[in-house]
Amino acid sequence: CKKDFLDVDPGATIMETNYYKNPQEAFAGLVAAYDPLGVETVNTYHNFGALNAASDDTYAGGGGPADMNTWQVWEKYTLDELTGPQGDFWNRNYNGVARANVILSRLGNIPGLDDATKKRYIAEAKFLRGYFYFDLVRIFKNVPLFTAPLTTSEIYGVLQAKPEDVYAQVEKDLNEAIPDLPTTVPKATEGGRATKGAAKALLGKVYLYEKKWAQAAAQFADVNGTPGGTSTLGYKLLTNFGDIFRPDNKYNTESIFEIVRTSVANSGWGNWGSFEGNVAVTMFGPRGYSGPTYVSGWSFNPITPQLNAAMAGDPRKPFTIANIDSIVNAAPGRAYEKGYNNTGLFIEKYAPKTQWRSTGGGAAELNWPNNYIEIRLSDTYLMEAEALVQSNTNLTRAADLLNAVRARVGLGPITATLDNIYNERRLELATEGHRWYDLVRTGRAPAVLGFRGFVAGKHEILPIPQRELNNTKLVQNPGYK
Amino acid sequence: QNIPVTGKVTSKKTGEPLAGATVSVKGTSAATLTDENGKFGINAKSGATLLITYQGMIDAEKTISGAGTVNIQLEENNTATLSDVVVIGYGTQKKSVVTGAISSVKAADIENQQINRIEQALQGRTSGVTIASTSGSPGAAATVRVRGVTSINANNPLWVIDGVIVDNGGIGYLNTNDIESIEVLKDAASAAIYGTRGAAGVILVTTKKGKAGTMRVNYNGYYGTQAPAKRLDLLDATQYATLRNEAAVNGGGAPIFTNPSSFGKGTDWQSVIFNESAPIQNHEVSLSGGGEKSTYYASFGYFSQTGIVASDISNWKRYSLRLNSTHKIGNYITFAQNLGFARTRNQGISTNTEFGGPLSSAINLDPITPVVITDPAIANAAPYSTQPVVRDDLGRPYGISQYVQQEMTNPAAFMRTQRGNFSSADDIVGNAYVEVEPIKGLKIRSTLGAKLSYWGGDSYRPVYYLNAAQQSTNNQFTRNSNQLFNWNIENTISYTKSIDKHNFTILAAQGAYRENFTSGLSVTKSNLPVTTFEDASMNFNVATANVTASASEGTVHAISSLFGRLNYNFDEKYLVSAIVRRDGSSRFGANHQYGIFPSGSIGWVPTREEFWRPNNILNTLKVRASYGVNGSDEIGNFGYVSTIGGGRNYPFGVDNLQTGYSPNAPSNPDLKWEQTSQLDLGFDAVLFRNLTLSFDWYYKKTTGILRSVTLPGYVGSTGSPVANIADMNNKGVEIELGYRKEIGKLNFDVRGNVGFVKNEVTYLGDNIAFIGTGANFQNSDFDLQRTSVGLPYNYFFGFRTAGIFQNQKQIDDYVGGPSNTKIQPNAKPGDFRWVDANNDGRINGDDRVMLGNAIPTMTYGITLNMNYKNFDFLLFGQGVSGNKIYQGLRRLDIPSANWQTKALNRWTGENTSNSFPRLSTNDANRNFAYPSDFTLESGAYFRIKTLQVGYTLPRSITSKAGIQRVRFYLSSNNLLTITKYTGYDPEVGGAQDVFGSDNGVYPQSRSFLFGVNIGF
Repeated sequence: CKKDFLDVDPGATIMETNYYKNPQEAFAGLVAAYDPLGVETVNTYHNFGALNAASDDTYAGGGGPADMNTWQVWEKYTLDELTGPQGDFWNRNYNGVARANVILSRLGNIPGLDDATKKRYIAEAKFLRGYFYFDLVRIFKNVPLFTAPLTTSEIYGVLQAKPEDVYAQVEKDLNEAIPDLPTTVPKATEGGRATKGAAKALLGKVYLYEKKWAQAAAQFADVNGTPGGTSTLGYKLLTNFGDIFRPDNKYNTESIFEIVRTSVANSGWGNWGSFEGNVAVTMFGPRGYSGPTYVSGWSFNPITPQLNAAMAGDPRKPFTIANIDSIVNAAPGRAYEKGYNNTGLFIEKYAPKTQWRSTGGGAAELNWPNNYIEIRLSDTYLMEAEALVQSNTNLTRAADLLNAVRARVGLGPITATLDNIYNERRLELATEGHRWYDLVRTGRAPAVLGFRGFVAGKHEILPIPQRELNNTKLVQNPGYK
Repeated sequence: QNIPVTGKVTSKKTGEPLAGATVSVKGTSAATLTDENGKFGINAKSGATLLITYQGMIDAEKTISGAGTVNIQLEENNTATLSDVVVIGYGTQKKSVVTGAISSVKAADIENQQINRIEQALQGRTSGVTIASTSGSPGAAATVRVRGVTSINANNPLWVIDGVIVDNGGIGYLNTNDIESIEVLKDAASAAIYGTRGAAGVILVTTKKGKAGTMRVNYNGYYGTQAPAKRLDLLDATQYATLRNEAAVNGGGAPIFTNPSSFGKGTDWQSVIFNESAPIQNHEVSLSGGGEKSTYYASFGYFSQTGIVASDISNWKRYSLRLNSTHKIGNYITFAQNLGFARTRNQGISTNTEFGGPLSSAINLDPITPVVITDPAIANAAPYSTQPVVRDDLGRPYGISQYVQQEMTNPAAFMRTQRGNFSSADDIVGNAYVEVEPIKGLKIRSTLGAKLSYWGGDSYRPVYYLNAAQQSTNNQFTRNSNQLFNWNIENTISYTKSIDKHNFTILAAQGAYRENFTSGLSVTKSNLPVTTFEDASMNFNVATANVTASASEGTVHAISSLFGRLNYNFDEKYLVSAIVRRDGSSRFGANHQYGIFPSGSIGWVPTREEFWRPNNILNTLKVRASYGVNGSDEIGNFGYVSTIGGGRNYPFGVDNLQTGYSPNAPSNPDLKWEQTSQLDLGFDAVLFRNLTLSFDWYYKKTTGILRSVTLPGYVGSTGSPVANIADMNNKGVEIELGYRKEIGKLNFDVRGNVGFVKNEVTYLGDNIAFIGTGANFQNSDFDLQRTSVGLPYNYFFGFRTAGIFQNQKQIDDYVGGPSNTKIQPNAKPGDFRWVDANNDGRINGDDRVMLGNAIPTMTYGITLNMNYKNFDFLLFGQGVSGNKIYQGLRRLDIPSANWQTKALNRWTGENTSNSFPRLSTNDANRNFAYPSDFTLESGAYFRIKTLQVGYTLPRSITSKAGIQRVRFYLSSNNLLTITKYTGYDPEVGGAQDVFGSDNGVYPQSRSFLFGVNIGF
């Protein structure tokens, strides 16, 4: 029989050797590197809700004590190498690293790709690689580092890098990315793609985690500009705090880096693992809710009494905490089901509101259009203020930054002490997923989270997922051995 | 000078005339067939010998002494299994000269049994073949393993129906009444004729052909009812509330229910889903006959079965048609065709999943929630007043549990939401060949075979609220439609010749196979102006935004083959067979596209030697040995290259979704054939005239097993590349025994078989000691199964328990490790004492050990047939042992799920239990979350599969009505199952990686049937 009898039409199967041959395919490769940013479901749900549960801002909540167990065990600090949210954190970021490495290795020679576009793509891929490695090193500390795609023969020989080497690579990637990234992008079509401001803010944050205060402050200064004014990169605090998180106000002047979500993918449950809507919104909603404004969700991340007390009297409270109990009790016929660790208080910033609910195909609960704002201006204001206070330079500017954040919501000025800045961060950024990292990097976690079971020297990082240790040369993090 | 001879051929046993017996004159070409009264007429020389043959009877000879009438009585062949003809693939062979290991099932073995799918015909009747139903759901396929697990990735045997290869999932179309014979080629030397595809065994199915003679019309039919053979003992409402309270208090909380006994018995959810009299029926009419030139067989069958679980949405119907015919054109040419058509229509529920489905819900739902809400105060409150809850015919809402939610929903409500949904399939499988025999013994045959399938279904999802997690806010109507086309062409040339005592057959062949031309379409319309399945229609126009569609097509799989076979024997005493096959597959890279698979086998029949002194102990003996190599390319397409995958999308801006592509996994250009080699030693014997015995020992070794490798997460790979990573072997013994005896008017026939198999994985890749299945059961802390070097494939892996701590002292005394510290310092009385398997003084994942096999190590079956006058009796039983089952019926991650009553024996204080731990909402000791021997149960069972009593009307009555045979019978299937297993059914098949895990398997039904066979 002739040999061509065995050659079958590959159909839609594209061989890697035939790919990355034109600008469209280069772009598709870049999009694939962005894709892991939005990962929500691998084993359970990966998103900032897990970090909220680990902090003292919220509980895990949900339908029962084992619902979304990876969050429950982090909340109670009973997580171990097998049970916990680590697998999702790990896979999401390494998927991103791998895809960034692939596109970086392929961008060298793509016919038809002009130089300017190529430079921008390289810068974006480096930004993403820096972002993913920063996420890895801050939460796992001891991670393998590679800057090129792994070949089959290398896979099982990989070792963990020193944390300082990973940080150095992150700095290098971001520093190299900054010059070639655009200052602004068209909101409607390119919002969410890496910008100079996003890279600088991220680099500043990286320096802050490394306690390189002066370098951190320098990056933040470029982003922040004059406190309260518009910076040269175009950032300015919004007047109305409540407008920051509206899905119809994406990429506003306060937003520096957003993880983009959309309802147009019309995802159904069959799309598990590749939802394009913001499932966190459904997770945070009250269970079985019938009443005005909100739609039902799954009761995750109920607000703790601690946060509720801390926010008493704060003008940001109504924009931060949804008091479902008081809504339900206000009129007959309203109801909701009390979930696990219910406090009647829910996250407002990413609450499922009737007006934003997807009316398209798929399952509405999987298609919320709310972007997750990963870095915003008041965050970089407060980070710069912290860096300045820590390095004891320009305390006036530190106070200006801190008080600009306060003034926006009508609060009077206070002194720029570390405690004041930390407290302001908690109130300003509550439930946005920053609290746990802040507590850990400032060393306050054992004191603040001790009541939950946080053990100093162990719980600052997550265990390496057990699967990564099987048959490999990786070693478990201390404390989880 | 020829003289006319007439006569009559009858059965010695029954005295009934035998129609269609061949009467020939030895040494001439003169031959004729007996008519319906067994009579014949033929011309022969005086002194000539007549040879009378009839299938299933011993050949008889009669010397003609002169004109006149001769009456011949034929004896039933008591050693039928040795003189039968066996289908061996591209030919047949007398069983007496077969040198491979082949198990056969003949039409006669199954014709009186109520077998709905072909797998059931093999179960318990073929040694070394393990069959486990994946589900008792009507029409469900079974898992079939020939001589254990051959490989990690593809263990389904190759099904060949009249020469057409039919994929494993696609054999349900076959009407079992049409089966003439089934042959299982078990050893490599036999299967080698199917080369690359035979590694996991080959099952050859031959459908019935017509026989020359008068037309025969047969009707077979039965009607019966089915019921669940077993119900679980679940807690009633009072017991449930009591145990919940106890668990809450033990967990440090407050009791949940103030007065448990106020709930009474509560709801029995099992009675909501089970049907105690689900009908089953089958009707089949066949016509066969023909003349010297042409013969035909035609049949029509109708089979309908309603499921015993959630009958409204669980049933299966099959309409089947078959037409087989053979035609002689001139003296040299034969044309034949086989064509089967079937339409199946199916309503099914998801099964063996802990995630929903009525069965799982019935087990896990609390007994407090009522089926229907009758209290207006509750019905007028949330959620019933505020949500689109499902209501019964009277408009009353179905109860929604406040305690057990997630995927667990009121099954009565769930069934309503699924009403009408169905899937259907049309399968056409056929082949045709032309055979030319220009000189005697030389046959040139060209065969064209094809399979054409269409399948799809309609499903409607109404707006509903089953609980907070299971809601549908808009209606959807989905239709999907798929088709498949496979074809193959095979050209064979064979020559059979006997020279003196040398008998040989040579076969040379070429085959080309192209399969999996598939395509599918699916359309969903949302927000239709209807509320039920019946009213839903694709003709409704809805806004474009409410229409979603998807389409797909398959990748063709091509195989190109050359193969040859030599069968030789000297005086049926020294037997030799050799096969070589060369296959090329589209699934491999150019480096390894072709594979060559040789095999050989030899046999010796000492009882035919001159030195053998005939005796009454050992009548016949054949010893045989075979060795061969098979391959497998069951790895999917393009495994050898790195492919680019889509769906890595990301939105930019506002709703500007961009499509992303990236490599799926690193490539592996050296991917090559997986190889299975097998050595088989065996013998066949007839002892004491009536006892047949076959014995086989085999050693099967699979190397370079193709497997998707789960890479470490840090590779960042989305897919899993395929590699030749593993080796494993199977060793086993198979014994088949048969015994027949006539005692006066009582005939009995007992056959039994048993197979033992031991599987061992020997290599999994350099530095790789094990691979996990990754299949954590719900929120169990570890995966349940593992494959390691030195142990059987996919064994159960977990913790061992050593009783329960009765008091604090026992906990304090349980010390170990280098510094003799407490091993379980945080345990409380009532918790399991875990075995510290590695003696390091603490309990963690390293203390897990092998807990048992997932796959049976012994399978056996026994058939007893008895006849007394006009009565017949059949008993057929089969069983397995050596395996464990993970009893995972209760949802671990829903602490409020109901329990089986064995939970009543939980630990509640010192010396109350040493096997069932205390209940607590805070399971800090992981009593339930660790996979352990606590949740593993023995999977051994013996089941009386069929028990049947029949009565045949005396011929003196039926012949007046022109009817040859009328038989009535009463039958019961699955009458009795002997097992210690505490789930519904120990027969737990399933996808290979979850073999042995019972997450709510749809149990087999117990049925009672009345049937009739009529022959005209």
